[in-house]
Amino acid sequence: MASAIGESANIEHLATLLDRNREGIYTCVHCGLCLPACPTYRQLGDENDSPRGRVYLMRAVSESRLAIDSVFAEHIDSCLGCRACETVCPSGVPYGELLEAARAELASTRSGGVEQKLLRFVLNRFFTRRALLGVLMWIARTFRESGLAQLAFDSKLLGNRGRLALALLLSSRPALTSNAENRAAGPSVSTSPKVAILRGCVMEGLFSHVNRATERVLRKSGCELVEANGQVCCGALHAHAGELETAKELARKNIDAFRATTCDTIVINSAGCGAAMKEYKHLLADDPEYAARAADLSKKVKDISEFLIGIGAKPSEAIVARRVAYDAPCHLIHAQKIASAPVDLLRSIRGLELTPLIGSETCCGGAGIYNLQQYELSAKIASDKVDNILASGADMVVTGNPGCIMQIGASLLMRGESIRVAHPIELIDSAI
Amino acid sequence: MAKSYTLPDAVADRLVSILGKRFVLTHPDELLVYESDALTLHKHLPPAVIIPGSAEEAAAAVKVLAEAKIPFAPRGAGTGLSGGSLSLHGAVIIELARLNRILKIDYENRLAVVEAGVINVHLSEATAPGGFHYAPDPSSQMACTIGGNVAENSGGPHCLKYGMTTNHVLGVEVVLPNGDLINIGGGGVDVPGYDLLGVYVGSEGTFGITTKATLRLTRLPEAVKTLLAEFMSVTDASRSVSEIIAAGILPAALEMLDQETIKAVEESIFAGGFPIDVAALLIIEVDGLRAGLERTAAAAVDICLRNNARAVRVAADEAERQRLWGARKRAFGAMGRIKTDLMVQDAVIPRSRLPEVLDEIYAIAKRYGLKVANVFHAGDGNLHPNISFDGRDPDQVARVDAASKDIMSLCVSVGGSITGEHGVGMDKIDFMRMIFSDADMERMLAVRDAFNPEGLCNPSKVIPAMKTCRYCGFGIEDLRHKRAVHQEIS
Repeated sequence: MASAIGESANIEHLATLLDRNREGIYTCVHCGLCLPACPTYRQLGDENDSPRGRVYLMRAVSESRLAIDSVFAEHIDSCLGCRACETVCPSGVPYGELLEAARAELASTRSGGVEQKLLRFVLNRFFTRRALLGVLMWIARTFRESGLAQLAFDSKLLGNRGRLALALLLSSRPALTSNAENRAAGPSVSTSPKVAILRGCVMEGLFSHVNRATERVLRKSGCELVEANGQVCCGALHAHAGELETAKELARKNIDAFRATTCDTIVINSAGCGAAMKEYKHLLADDPEYAARAADLSKKVKDISEFLIGIGAKPSEAIVARRVAYDAPCHLIHAQKIASAPVDLLRSIRGLELTPLIGSETCCGGAGIYNLQQYELSAKIASDKVDNILASGADMVVTGNPGCIMQIGASLLMRGESIRVAHPIELIDSAI
Repeated sequence: MAKSYTLPDAVADRLVSILGKRFVLTHPDELLVYESDALTLHKHLPPAVIIPGSAEEAAAAVKVLAEAKIPFAPRGAGTGLSGGSLSLHGAVIIELARLNRILKIDYENRLAVVEAGVINVHLSEATAPGGFHYAPDPSSQMACTIGGNVAENSGGPHCLKYGMTTNHVLGVEVVLPNGDLINIGGGGVDVPGYDLLGVYVGSEGTFGITTKATLRLTRLPEAVKTLLAEFMSVTDASRSVSEIIAAGILPAALEMLDQETIKAVEESIFAGGFPIDVAALLIIEVDGLRAGLERTAAAAVDICLRNNARAVRVAADEAERQRLWGARKRAFGAMGRIKTDLMVQDAVIPRSRLPEVLDEIYAIAKRYGLKVANVFHAGDGNLHPNISFDGRDPDQVARVDAASKDIMSLCVSVGGSITGEHGVGMDKIDFMRMIFSDADMERMLAVRDAFNPEGLCNPSKVIPAMKTCRYCGFGIEDLRHKRAVHQEIS
């Protein structure tokens, strides 16, 4: 994607953020063990689109050997941010932190094209205001439910990118026609753990069925749910897009909202949001007022699978007869290092056959709105994922992140496949 | 900084027409990441990088470059440790990462056909369900490519028992330096005529560019036992190594880690659960038929205990075994915690001289004010002294250079060699004189000339400048001399 960069690509200013991360940059010894873990490198074979290459580019910027121009932008933009490289890095390079710094550098220097401006406008104006975001999500939902979205998708009038956008929206529909919605919630016990849920922006907007399932499972597991009023979007999308100031603003609001409750744990059912909130302590490390509060809050954050395994929840009452493939969201397995909890939960469901999925730990190519921004590269990565799913023989895919549910669902739809994608908690909800 | 080269527009245009714009990199900013491989001591910026998507594309691109008399050098994953894939004399880098398909797995004939960019470990993963693996396992096996393994004749911990890459290559498809695509070797155990395959494997990309390889598949052993022996002195550990081999035990692998290495690894996310208070650890792996394996393992344990091992434990299960190997194989990367750069040295010595050589290596490092950590294939005397340093400090770089030279001289003086498995590349080129006479190297050059008469393919690697041309003053193997077309030498 061509990116317009401000004429005054002044190296001194650019180096500031990356400079602060120099220690992290120098942790890389250039061994190259990360290369095959990187989905973009695997597709392109270009070292510039590999983790080692991108760290080298960042290092070159911080050492004033490289200006932040279109080349730097192209290769930083092409990164999915899946952080699979962190999992295999023996030196412990904090790649996610470096990427956010590099993206923030880019955001502060490029004026950006129309697309970039629109993205920034939506992120900064809509995702920060609950009411506006609510309207936006209502429109999306209405379009999704009206049948118009399906009609437009089927009509094939649109180009591939447009059809993908529709397929993404269509894939946010509930995949299970369970009667769980009507089931009565179990009574909450007074000595039970007090849990607050992050509702999230996309989760509550398009995946409210997953949020309700999460609440039911928590109550059934003996938890007391407490409401964190005033919570907002976690800010992950902003941090990934280099809009660090907005991300920090949202983080502070969330810290205030959750601090006002009596909860012991903040449970999150979206891997991306969980990773972001666990990293609030890094995001706000330089904020004298909020640094300690952020660290406290990050400690309380748990992914739903991590939490349920921790309290020994056992979904075993009902039988779910399905052949399911589990796909690990990058922000769960690589960013939060949670690999076995969701699998263990799924294994404990009676009747459910968990079939191995080759490349389960590899990114699906969704990565927020990467799939729309870098359509061609993302489509190639998604195509490998679909091939592996079809080879696995699964009749359903489960994954614990809204972006992944939509990306994998949409990629299957684009291929004309009818396999649906759900959140693991939906299966646990129908079994518990 | 070395002279900078640019690719003529006409040549770039022809390459773009063959490979497509996306896979011809000429913008200076995009070339930066190709200035070094995993050995960051050497940096040479290429004028261009091309990334072919098939052997045919690679051959066509080489033809264009050869016609224009522009040199070129192959590169796989850039995990090499001798600077073998760097661009000298303005060589265009030919990156083979996109040739990453496993074309055939044939269990009946115990072979696989793969493209050059296939990752080493991917072949073992793909054949594990059939009960097979690809035996050579360089420590970078999770990233390094088969093409690079063939070029360097790579080793690895398990090569002690199973042999190096050359023992597992049955045939190769090669783009010759003039752009012709040929096959060397074949599926059989022997081929009529000269054993060109034996000559080709380990030629470090100076004879041609591998695009495909037919590889031997090895049955996974029926049983494996992995021991971890703890020693309070490096000498005791070294003696144990010598005695194990002398006793006629042939372990699948016999690795040593010294205290500096253990500390670095234990601080990384790949900690193997190693004790950090010991001076040295031996990882001893025996494999084969289940019957008799216990006895072999017990014999090795006895030898270690007799040589003052504090404890010897056996990996309880496959998970613990994987953890031990995971820690060992990532030791190099884990050194990133010590300093910004790392010099991974590679030398071979007679096993019997291990204790004294190690002591002397520590003394050399101390003399230059450097920190050295040793992790190596003790079983075949293949040392890897790792020197951590800060590449931004020219003084440190000079000291690392000097210490490396002293270590090489030391190893040669005890009857050893300058490289065990990483290749000569450009890093060891000046050390070649320590072990070869001019007459030796002239024969090697004559063989190279048979494949690569114009010297365009990976120039100025492996064989150092020897005699100087009377007319142009360049070394006779030098590409510039070849261009001057001077035959006479003084």
